[in-house]
Amino acid sequence: MNWKFVSRALLATTILCLPACRERQPAAKKYFVAFSQCNNAEPYRAAQNQLMQALFNQKPDVQLVIADAQQDNSKQIAQIETFIRQKPDLLIVAPNERAPLTEVMGRAMAAGIPVICLERDITQPNYTTFISADNLAIGKMAGQFIVDSLNHKYGKPQGKVVEIRGLLGVEAEMERYRGAHDVLKGYAGIKVVHEAVADWLQSNARERMSEILRAQPEIDVVYGHNDPMAVGAYLAAHDLNREKQMIFIGVDGLGGPAGGVKKVVDGVLAATFYYPLCVDKAVEIGEQLMHDPSFHPEKQYILQPELITADNATQMYQKLTF
Amino acid sequence: MTDPVPETLNQPAITSPTWYSDLLLRRGPLYSRLKSVLGLLAVLLIALLASPHSPRGGLIFLESGNITDILRQVSEIGIISLGMTFVILTGGIDLSVGTVLAFASSVVALVLTRLDLNLPPPVAIAMAMAAALVGGALVGLGNGVMIARWRIQPFIVTLATMIGMRGLARWLTSNTNIDIGFGADLASIFAGALSTKIVVIGSYALLSIALGTLLSKTVFGRYVRAVGDNEKAAKYAGLPITRTKILVYSMTGLLAGYSGILHAAQNHQGNPNTGVAYELEAIAAVVIGGTSLMGGSGSVGGTVVGTLIMGVLTNILRLNNVDNNLEMIAKAAIIVAAVWLQQAGKESA
Repeated sequence: MNWKFVSRALLATTILCLPACRERQPAAKKYFVAFSQCNNAEPYRAAQNQLMQALFNQKPDVQLVIADAQQDNSKQIAQIETFIRQKPDLLIVAPNERAPLTEVMGRAMAAGIPVICLERDITQPNYTTFISADNLAIGKMAGQFIVDSLNHKYGKPQGKVVEIRGLLGVEAEMERYRGAHDVLKGYAGIKVVHEAVADWLQSNARERMSEILRAQPEIDVVYGHNDPMAVGAYLAAHDLNREKQMIFIGVDGLGGPAGGVKKVVDGVLAATFYYPLCVDKAVEIGEQLMHDPSFHPEKQYILQPELITADNATQMYQKLTF
Repeated sequence: MTDPVPETLNQPAITSPTWYSDLLLRRGPLYSRLKSVLGLLAVLLIALLASPHSPRGGLIFLESGNITDILRQVSEIGIISLGMTFVILTGGIDLSVGTVLAFASSVVALVLTRLDLNLPPPVAIAMAMAAALVGGALVGLGNGVMIARWRIQPFIVTLATMIGMRGLARWLTSNTNIDIGFGADLASIFAGALSTKIVVIGSYALLSIALGTLLSKTVFGRYVRAVGDNEKAAKYAGLPITRTKILVYSMTGLLAGYSGILHAAQNHQGNPNTGVAYELEAIAAVVIGGTSLMGGSGSVGGTVVGTLIMGVLTNILRLNNVDNNLEMIAKAAIIVAAVWLQQAGKESA
């Protein structure tokens, strides 16, 4: 008998058993809500998680579980499959991408689970309701803000714009881009002199902007498709003492000390556009779905963005918890 | 493999005792395989004890739908880890499999959606799959040639390939995903046919059996072990080391390509950015299955067991809604525990 192996095996099995032996799910919770989040690592997504946890914490009869797919479609499909086995009273999905998640969400619907699709659409309406925010409207608002600020600076719509784009091929990026260009193409005097792709990341934006600053002696507006990229561009300009020559605008307008609203308060960004977290609406609709079987939600709710400038930033900063 | 066994191979004095005793005594591999099976049984026991109950009263873990979910979820990594077993047995490593998977998924989706193939659907789909498979195999061939002929270290070669293939996949697709719909077009037919559980799990099962047989019953399999066990001895014994290594890396590329095809079908998408860290998951499965990173000893059956251990563990933690971060910690513990147990066996053997 190999005693050394047996003793080690027993010890290892005991240790591995520990997580399994922990207490079972408390039976007191009446409702089980499962939330499949596509990527906890993004600040916008982390804010969604925090807000949802906070809102459901106020409901003592609800147990909320959040799964993180780490920006991987296969992982998210696997997580939703597991949720389907658990038969939650409500399934909320923030899909990582459109096509890959469509089929599995259809299976959740087929299993009789109410499904709320959050913020990002899928290719077929495999959901009870879809709660979205309007990225195209944000793009248009950003375009209009650029026109207005150039008007203010030069007395007429002219000037040079730099655009820092998010991850290509993602809907938010495409619509924030298209909306702005729809507005800007009406003004011949406004030129987008440089477009760079920074994949939503502050560090990438800073690097791309350093190159752009070498290439472009004159820049009036930098439009980042999210706040961190706008801040990254600001940092690059700050290094060269050129940040006063131009304004920086971003998108998302998250609250909290690291969010974009604080950057407007601090004067780093001239403006940001509040992109709704969609979570408060999802919790509201979800609660109704669980408590009232006769309730039929709209197929889609579109939440509107909001312009945040120095005028209302302090007020927004106090209002937004996440 | 039809190669005749060289005379020298039958002389035990030249090669080290590990594989030779495996062949003669049959005790070694059986014993170590038994150990990894014991590990799987332990994880299964934990799963049974910890499984939540369904509203109807049964264990959710044991529902046939859940079991096939697990098998389907592990299949992509599982198929890659079969090839990885051979690579690691030769004493090498292949870091490029994740990006080869992304590349193959992009190629198959590109061919199906962008090329106007005026062919009957089965032929067109076969062509698209062939393109992805050939692509994967060529990458593997390149790895093999650089490692075996140019004698660059496998870690460095495949690290370079990993980076390069990510770039190539992104360049081919302009860094966008190639979505596959749900209609009646060619790509949709492909995704519908190849994403079914029977195809995915069936592929994994058949490939496991085929490659298990290749490793344990053929001369090629013995070469693979001999090269990893003691390359110098194998060289003096006149074994075709270069050819063996090139074949092993090509086969791994081919398998990663096939995984990429399944990935594209299951996700309805060719994605140049997918497959991140898949090589590490595959290596973990191989190591948990008892294959030594030093090369020479290990088995395909062990790797399958290792893959299943990770799959069952993930499933049971998720069924219990264990926090994602704790899940990663538990997996880390499993990897270390598995290897520690294997060593306990070896020290006293």
